[in-house]
Amino acid sequence: MLLKISDLTKQFGGLTAVNKFDMQVNQGEIVGLIGPNGAGKSTIYNLITGVYPPNRGRVIFNGKDITRMKPHRVAGLGIGRTFQLNPLFPDFTVLQNVSASFHLHPHSSLFDIYFNTPTYRKNESIIREQSLKILRLVGLEKVKDDLAKNLPHGFQKMLGVARALATQPKLLLLDEPLGGMNPSEIEFSLNSIEKMRQQGTTIMIVEHNMQILDLCDRVIVISFGQKIYEGLPQEVRENKEVISAYFGGEHA
Amino acid sequence: MKRDGINKWIKPVALVGLIIILAILPLLFSSPYLLHVLILTFIYTVGAVSFRTITISGQFPLAHAAFMGIGAYTAAMASRYLSWPPWVTIPMGAIAAGIIGIVFGYPFARLRTLYYAMGSLFFGMAITYIVQSLKITGGYVGLTKIQPLFSSVSRVPYYYFFLVLALFCTVALYRFEFSRIGTNLKAIAQSYQLASSVGIDEARYRILVVAVGCFFVGLVGAAFAHYTPIVTPSTFDLSATLWLAMYVLIGGINSFAGPIIGTPILYFIPQYYFSNLRAYSPFIPAVILIIIAYLMPKGLAGLIFMLNSRYLDRLWFRMNGKGATHATENQ
Repeated sequence: MLLKISDLTKQFGGLTAVNKFDMQVNQGEIVGLIGPNGAGKSTIYNLITGVYPPNRGRVIFNGKDITRMKPHRVAGLGIGRTFQLNPLFPDFTVLQNVSASFHLHPHSSLFDIYFNTPTYRKNESIIREQSLKILRLVGLEKVKDDLAKNLPHGFQKMLGVARALATQPKLLLLDEPLGGMNPSEIEFSLNSIEKMRQQGTTIMIVEHNMQILDLCDRVIVISFGQKIYEGLPQEVRENKEVISAYFGGEHA
Repeated sequence: MKRDGINKWIKPVALVGLIIILAILPLLFSSPYLLHVLILTFIYTVGAVSFRTITISGQFPLAHAAFMGIGAYTAAMASRYLSWPPWVTIPMGAIAAGIIGIVFGYPFARLRTLYYAMGSLFFGMAITYIVQSLKITGGYVGLTKIQPLFSSVSRVPYYYFFLVLALFCTVALYRFEFSRIGTNLKAIAQSYQLASSVGIDEARYRILVVAVGCFFVGLVGAAFAHYTPIVTPSTFDLSATLWLAMYVLIGGINSFAGPIIGTPILYFIPQYYFSNLRAYSPFIPAVILIIIAYLMPKGLAGLIFMLNSRYLDRLWFRMNGKGATHATENQ
């Protein structure tokens, strides 16, 4: 078991954003986390990666308790993520975005960096090579020298994924990877995500778009911060509670 | 293709030319006042360059001149009370400024943007008040009887000393910015959430850049203490910091060359040519800043690079007699 979340609770003032949430992710899986707007999906990501501390509950990653750990430490342990808003560094080029994200592996010490030692130069050339490889994987090689802020929306989303891959995560948390994409971009993204899984990355996806279901091994549906369903993607579409959460009570 | 060749060479050639001119200047002009103003220009240039280095992490350090003061007072006190030689007190001043930068960086690492600016502003003011009220620092009057760096009365050795020191600091800060450390700092400035999600320790880097900026400004501050006959608190007060900020903003905050262009224009020219207009001096940068904000949003550095590439295009056109593509359009 790669990730285990138990009894996770987060309150913002009087509002309970996430309530007694349990889930687990196994090695090599793609797990979908879906739910209507404001259900608490992004909050769960922020709790896993240490952006906020939870009020209650525990997050265990790879056998290690990472509850309340700082975001950069969580990243260091092998959880990469994308962000729904601000997915990239706008003033860097596409290539710089990816190579800047190679902070952890290989890591150069401050001394190596400042004095431009052979170790640092070797690391930087590895980083450049690996960055280009990732850009090929997500189909952004042609625009590698463009400023990230000038990319079309779909490319920006893919660059967000490329950046997260650069941290060489054991677990990749994708936050609405298909949001605002057109059908051809969606198809391309779904293919890329499948390719990442084949390369051995475990993936968790937060999404509104139901097309993501085809890719998932398991789906968890949340509404108002609570898990209302967990099961196979084929069954989700027929589940009454899920339909009622999405479309309102009268459909149930 | 060749056109790119010219552009690639223009910066190093201009730089070497500038250094040669500065190196032979005392041989051509021996006016002590000119050399004095140039020495101060070198000091403030390092102040402005190190100020800008801190801003690449997205922080606006409004205590910067106070750190120059920490360097200066550390060196001055060690020299006056302990009679330590300048080659000990100058590094000591730099290290003291760097360490206080780290101590001050810790609680302030959580403050971002405007909050950091205001926090550092009051920190700098507090340092000024402390220095003014303590006996050991000489209060309002300041400290005198600091051992001078050179025994000669001539300003020429000082001139060369500060020229080399300024070059050393500038090169060191250039290497800092254009390494992966600088990239990480720029990443933090663009999005700290994203930067920490790839494993960059935001707090550590923000403290590091403050420490480095303070170290170099402390270094020139400490050297300044062994040049000037008296070290006073007002030299390092809030208005001194705001002047540094002005040099950076007018020169161009997004370019390493910005403060190196801005400081001579805003400090040297008014000080040397218009010193009788000093009473009006705060108005000058305000007016220039407004003009720059309207006409050249990238500051003077941006303007110079733009003119330079336009002029080179025309030159290339004349030499070849055929249309050259406009290099600036591709940027």
